Amino acid sequence: MSAVSVTERDRTDIPGNRPPGIIVSTNTAPAAIVAADVETAIRVEGLSKRFGKAGPVVLDNINLTIKPGEFVCLLGASGCGKSTLLNIIAGLEHPSEGAVTVASGKSAVMFQESALFPWLTASRNVELALKLRGVPRGRRRGEARELLDLVNLADAADKRPHELSGGMRQRVALARSLAQDRKVLLMDEPFAALDAITRDLLHEELERVWRETGRTIVFVTHNVREAARLGQRVLLMSSRPGRIRNEWRIEDNGPRRIESPEVSRLAIEITNHLREEIRRNAA
Amino acid sequence: MPPETTTDTIVPGSREPDAVSGSTAGSHADFRTLEAGLDALQTSPLAEKGPWRRFADGVLPPVVLLLALIAAWQFYIVIAKPRPDLTPGPLDVLTSITDLWSTGHLQTAVVTSLSRGGIGFLIAVAIGTPLGLLLAEWRLLRRALGPLLSGLQVLPSVAWVPAAILWFGLSDATVYFVVLMGAVPSIANGLVAGVDQIPPQLRRVGTVLGANRVEMATLVVLPAAMPGYLAGLKQGWAFSWRSLMAAEIIAVGGSIGFGLGSMLQQSRELADLPGVLATILVILFVGILVELVLFAPAERRLLRRRGLYLTAGR
Ligand SMILES: Nc1ncnc2c1ncn2[C@@H]1O[C@H](COP(=O)(O)OP(=O)(O)O)[C@@H](O)[C@H]1O
Ligand SMILES: [Mg+2]
Repeated sequence: MSAVSVTERDRTDIPGNRPPGIIVSTNTAPAAIVAADVETAIRVEGLSKRFGKAGPVVLDNINLTIKPGEFVCLLGASGCGKSTLLNIIAGLEHPSEGAVTVASGKSAVMFQESALFPWLTASRNVELALKLRGVPRGRRRGEARELLDLVNLADAADKRPHELSGGMRQRVALARSLAQDRKVLLMDEPFAALDAITRDLLHEELERVWRETGRTIVFVTHNVREAARLGQRVLLMSSRPGRIRNEWRIEDNGPRRIESPEVSRLAIEITNHLREEIRRNAA
Repeated sequence: MPPETTTDTIVPGSREPDAVSGSTAGSHADFRTLEAGLDALQTSPLAEKGPWRRFADGVLPPVVLLLALIAAWQFYIVIAKPRPDLTPGPLDVLTSITDLWSTGHLQTAVVTSLSRGGIGFLIAVAIGTPLGLLLAEWRLLRRALGPLLSGLQVLPSVAWVPAAILWFGLSDATVYFVVLMGAVPSIANGLVAGVDQIPPQLRRVGTVLGANRVEMATLVVLPAAMPGYLAGLKQGWAFSWRSLMAAEIIAVGGSIGFGLGSMLQQSRELADLPGVLATILVILFVGILVELVLFAPAERRLLRRRGLYLTAGR
């Protein structure tokens, strides 16, 4: 496994007891300042969203730059607007203000419920994605097998979604989103409905796929540990209105375990911030 | 509080190269067996019913009940000895059926009615399906036409017979018109209901996968709406068959062929009660047969493929 080393300048050895660090993005100054010289995969500028004309502001002036190949976790309490932000990046919703640019065009999306087509087998579900991508008929079956094999499901190719466990369905959904062959993969709480053991395995699966395929991943979750386990960057969102509050960068030294001390330490720290955010809403 | 965004870097303390690989310690093959084990634990093979078991579960109970009813009927005839011209026994009806068969009337009537019902139904499908899709996807049309279509579904299509006779005379057009008025609303409404029940997520997936409008309709919406659509087709067939019988009973003569409804009417004119009962039984039997041969298997297959067909413990 490659151990990509992150900039040394903001290393701190004692988490939770460190200076504010380097500001990467604020709501007033777009992240472009920092990322100007770096190629960007996703750029969100001054994005705001409200549903309807008189609805409450769900997202408020979000600015965000994501580099190609980054694994970014978007973390926040339920209802803070994570899905809305992800859907806007995916082009499924339109922003009320601001702009979103995805350098590679459209992105692949994976949802919490696998949303597989129940009338198609696992293989056909993947093949449909290939078909809509324009892959010629003769090559679809073989490619679908390869993708299913990538998520270790070659044996389940002819099973229908209802015959698969929740974890297997999500892996088929992952294979399907990889079939889209888009550089950016957006994931909306894809493992939230799974038991801990299965989720653990899927974290490894996803991380491996990420390292092998070099995709840019935006992973939405409300699970702090999951974010700390997976992300290179963790973005914490506040609620009502949804803003990006904090950001953590995690040095990538290869796969981490969810039980490992550094994940736990980070999770505790993020949780404290998250609770503070939630407490603000009590008043 | 001004929005504050900080960047922190966590540096893992002293991680040994071994510890780094963490749970992937060992090889990728190990991981695959682990995952395969979990998959095996979380899925259980579904036992398919054998043909004998299906027969015993599906065919036997109604047949046994039918035989019991006939036995009770015969028993009543033997014990109570009612007037034979008002209450024929099962044997009289059976004789009547074999007589009708030997003259060839029965076959003609069944073939005429079935082909008319079938053709009328197919035309109704050809009209009802695009209509249903339009209604489901075009809100304004739905608001305008939806209530009318639901009303038509409630209106007994026999009510159209007099008007149809005045418009088309005693011809097959009258029969088809009545059949269509009966079946089209059911089929269209069934499809609309099926489309309404599609989880929004499936359409989003279609969009995300890059489907255009036509691909969305044919590859996502129509297959996803199949359960509701099939229910509509089933009801559409029932309405076709009913409307056809009503039309055939009322509109006799002219260029209209001799169908089961005509046979029923003819037996009534001859005060031939066994003949009337025999025809009713044949009409019932044809209806059941179409349901059993065409719709029930299609529905079972459709629902089983989607994991919606629960047979366990029944
Ligand atoms: N289609 C919609 N219409 C109106 N309000 C919506 C819609 N979608 C989401 N919301 C509101 O926007 C807020 C954020 O929702 P969402 O993005 O789903 O949050 P999260 O994914 O973080 O749980 C919630 O308060 C929700 O009620
Ligand atoms: Mg959500």
